[in-house]
Amino acid sequence: MDWASILYLGTSFGLFVIFALILLRTWRPGNRDKMEKAKFRMLDED
Amino acid sequence: MENPTYDTTIVRSFVNWSILWGLVAILVGVLISFQMVNPDLNIAPWFTYGRLRPLHTNAGIYGWGIGSFMALYLYMVQRLCRTGLWSPTLAKVQLYLFNATIITAAVTLVLGFQTSKEYHEMEWPVDLMIVVLWVIFSVNIIMTIIKRREEQMYVSLWYMLASLVGVAILFLVNSAAVPVSLFKSYSAFAGTNDANVQWWFGHNAVAMVLTAPPLAIFYYFLPKSTGVPIYSHRLSIVAFWSLIFMYLWTGAHHLLWTPVPDWVQTLAMGFSVMLIAPSWGSVFNGYLSMNGQWHQMKENYLVKFLILGITFYGLQTLQGPLQAIRSFSAFIHYTDWVPGHVHMGTLGWVSLVIFAAIYYLYPRLCGTELHSIPLANLHFWLVLVGQLIYSVSMWIAGVLQASMWHAINPDGSLSFTFMETVVRLYPYWWIRALGGVLYLVGVLIFIYNIYKTAAKAQPQSVPATENA
Amino acid sequence: MWEKKPVILLILATAAILVGTCITMVLPFVWVNTEADRITSVTPYTPLQQDGRDVYIREGCNNCHSQTVRPLVAEVLRYGDYSKSGEFVYDRPFLWGSRRTGPDLARIGGKYPDAWHYKHMADPQSMVPRSNMPDYDFLTEAEIDPEYSRKKMETLGFPFTEAQISSLEGKTEMDAMVAYLQKLGSDIPWRQSAKTEVVGELANPSPKDKAAIRAGQLLYADNCAMCHAEDLTGDIGPALDEPYLDDADLFRLIHDGIEDGGMPSFAALGSARLWQLVNFINYRKQP
Ligand code: HEC
Ligand code: HEC
Ligand code: HEM
Ligand code: HEM
Repeated sequence: MDWASILYLGTSFGLFVIFALILLRTWRPGNRDKMEKAKFRMLDED
Repeated sequence: MENPTYDTTIVRSFVNWSILWGLVAILVGVLISFQMVNPDLNIAPWFTYGRLRPLHTNAGIYGWGIGSFMALYLYMVQRLCRTGLWSPTLAKVQLYLFNATIITAAVTLVLGFQTSKEYHEMEWPVDLMIVVLWVIFSVNIIMTIIKRREEQMYVSLWYMLASLVGVAILFLVNSAAVPVSLFKSYSAFAGTNDANVQWWFGHNAVAMVLTAPPLAIFYYFLPKSTGVPIYSHRLSIVAFWSLIFMYLWTGAHHLLWTPVPDWVQTLAMGFSVMLIAPSWGSVFNGYLSMNGQWHQMKENYLVKFLILGITFYGLQTLQGPLQAIRSFSAFIHYTDWVPGHVHMGTLGWVSLVIFAAIYYLYPRLCGTELHSIPLANLHFWLVLVGQLIYSVSMWIAGVLQASMWHAINPDGSLSFTFMETVVRLYPYWWIRALGGVLYLVGVLIFIYNIYKTAAKAQPQSVPATENA
Repeated sequence: MWEKKPVILLILATAAILVGTCITMVLPFVWVNTEADRITSVTPYTPLQQDGRDVYIREGCNNCHSQTVRPLVAEVLRYGDYSKSGEFVYDRPFLWGSRRTGPDLARIGGKYPDAWHYKHMADPQSMVPRSNMPDYDFLTEAEIDPEYSRKKMETLGFPFTEAQISSLEGKTEMDAMVAYLQKLGSDIPWRQSAKTEVVGELANPSPKDKAAIRAGQLLYADNCAMCHAEDLTGDIGPALDEPYLDDADLFRLIHDGIEDGGMPSFAALGSARLWQLVNFINYRKQP
């Protein structure tokens, strides 16, 4: 493989890892209440 | 918890002015759509099509779009942060500067001081005014968020923050130019580079002005109108990061088949298709929030505007990626199809969401009820039908035009001269103009309704600041 | 939790925005407008041409006209050779446009004689009755300021001579516009290389045929009358009312055009229609 392909595949792979981490963190069990709280708080205010 | 004091007069003033600029944009839009069928309507040199079209697009995107977003950001940020503005004075300065900038832009464009770069036609002195304006605006919003009294940061705030930095970066880079005089400058980039920078800017103006702010508004006003929270905050957050990450790769889908390097075009094509996912993340979030609430579509006129708005956003973000595919672009690029796409976005998505937000908050700002809900419903149907007539007629015209441009006789010659294709489009341009007039009538009814609502408010019940 | 820290959120959002920006917007500068895509025959604009370009920008012609020919069959047939990156290195800003309400102008240079442009710019409908292009006759009243032009050339870093500057004296914006239009796309010799040859025996498929003559008359009104006048008595081009070329030569002439004489090539009309024109011109007076 030439350097361009390695760079290309490496970057794409890195991005997928970051995306997967964001997904895992967002939907981590037990995280639900914390992550969803904002949508109730914004309705409270009036 | 003590009640914070919200600044609402400034919000109301911004709304008033943005409505005025929206009316200007639409009037000029209707005028240029008639100029396309009757060139005698061009009044040289100031009011020719080539000078009025940039006035139309800029008044629409910046006067009506940004004007309303400023109003609504200033409103939402206080509510979501449960605190007054960081600096009410700065917000007042912002209002004056905003109007001064829009007026200067309008006058200079009509006088012909323009750069030709789409959505960035204003010459460098106006650019400077815009930069100052944006800094004032951003600082006020960011500082208000920093000193907020609500721990949570709702997704609308995220979109607001992203659009503030996004616009700043895009605008500064694409402004780079060498002045020759007060009214003339040459772009710092040349040829193919200039094209690539311009459409990196152009497409992300769509992201940071015509997508992120209306989404912030949609995410705020939908739950406020229905009384139930959005379906999933987590989904909205993941969609947020994917959206702002992916948009920036797609500018070259405006430049397919041009001398821009092929790999840039291919990346743009790929990312445009991937953009369907985060875009539809928001669409689904909107629809699923309506679970068990669909009856409100009949009962609540605000919901009608918002749900139709997000539906057009959904269609827009399917049509856009289709247009970004090389083979399809070869067909519809440069044709009337594209104005059809553009106005489903601006008249459908962006404007419907702004109408809903203004209907929601204007009576509250005035401490009264909306003057007439039947009129609001009439407004809804007129703008909906007007916009559909516009977009559908342009899609048909675009396909017709493209097939005539590409038609080749068996002996290898072209089937149609250019003028033969133009003549065939006149009926569609007439129909488009008619759709525009319907839309205009709808907007006039909207303005009348808002005006009556303001007039109904008892003067003494409109304090400078209102306690919530 | 950084979700509640607006400053960190801002920084992360900026970073997310900058990735795609750096790769698709900054990185191409490494390749574009470098030696690799230079074309030696492409020259900067002269002061007069640059003035015309600035008028083009001021009047927003780019709102109706594009300036790039894509490498697609029909497009190359209609407009000429497809555009190359190296042709635009002196374009600040680029003027590729995004709409074709009017035709592409990337290869307009040399297509028509100057006289055609003067008449067309001043009153497009007089040449092309159903055009929706606005009149620009006011350009003939605006004179060019040579000193301002000098400043512009200096700012752009384009070469110019004093003679070029002083020759601007008395020139109007219309002169500048026409000079600019004639320069567009003509830096590379695409006309010669794109020329198609008519091969084989040329025989009129339907000489003196009434229907062919009538069809030819309509084609003449749309494509030729603007230069040779409705009644064939001549205007920008010579009179055609006394035919002297035989059918085959006339066909060849209309097909090829007269490169330096201002007579465009009409090869794109296709041979069927060219023969109809020939029939109209050569036999319209016959009973
Ligand atoms: C409203 C749209 C519109 C605007 C604005 C406009 N044009 Fe046109 N233009 C057209 C149309 C339509 C045609 C084809 C019919 C014709 O030749 O008039 C055309 C044709 C032309 C042609 C002839 C092209 C050919 O290959 O036959 C030239 C040259 C031209 N325009 C130059 C200009 C310039 C220069 C400007 C700006 C000062 C301008 N146009 C502004 C619509 C427009
Ligand atoms: C842009 C203007 C223009 C248009 C349009 C045009 N012509 Fe011409 N034509 C000229 C000019 C100029 C000449 C003279 C060229 C020369 O002799 O150097 C010419 C020459 C000719 C001649 C040769 C006449 C002679 O006496 O030598 C013929 C025949 C002719 N044109 C036919 C046509 C036909 C048929 C059409 C339409 C399909 C047409 N032209 C469209 C400008 C035009
Ligand atoms: C996933 C989302 C989207 C994608 C991939 C997309 C794609 C495209 C493409 C490829 C074009 C160029 C068409 C051409 O000239 O051939 C275009 C034009 C345009 N789009 Fe979209 N679009 C999207 C969403 C939107 C939205 C939400 C709006 C909001 C109003 C919008 C507004 C515009 C505008 C204003 C133009 C015209 C630009 C011009 O040529 O001047 N788009 N879009
Ligand atoms: C009834 C109202 C409107 C009418 C009749 C109208 C009409 C038009 C016309 C005739 C054009 C030129 C199309 C062409 O190049 O062929 C145009 C372009 C455009 N308009 Fe509108 N318009 C209206 C409202 C708006 C609004 C409210 C906005 C923005 C918020 C807007 C944004 C734009 C943009 C961005 C373009 C450029 C499109 C492109 O480059 O393809 N318009 N409009």
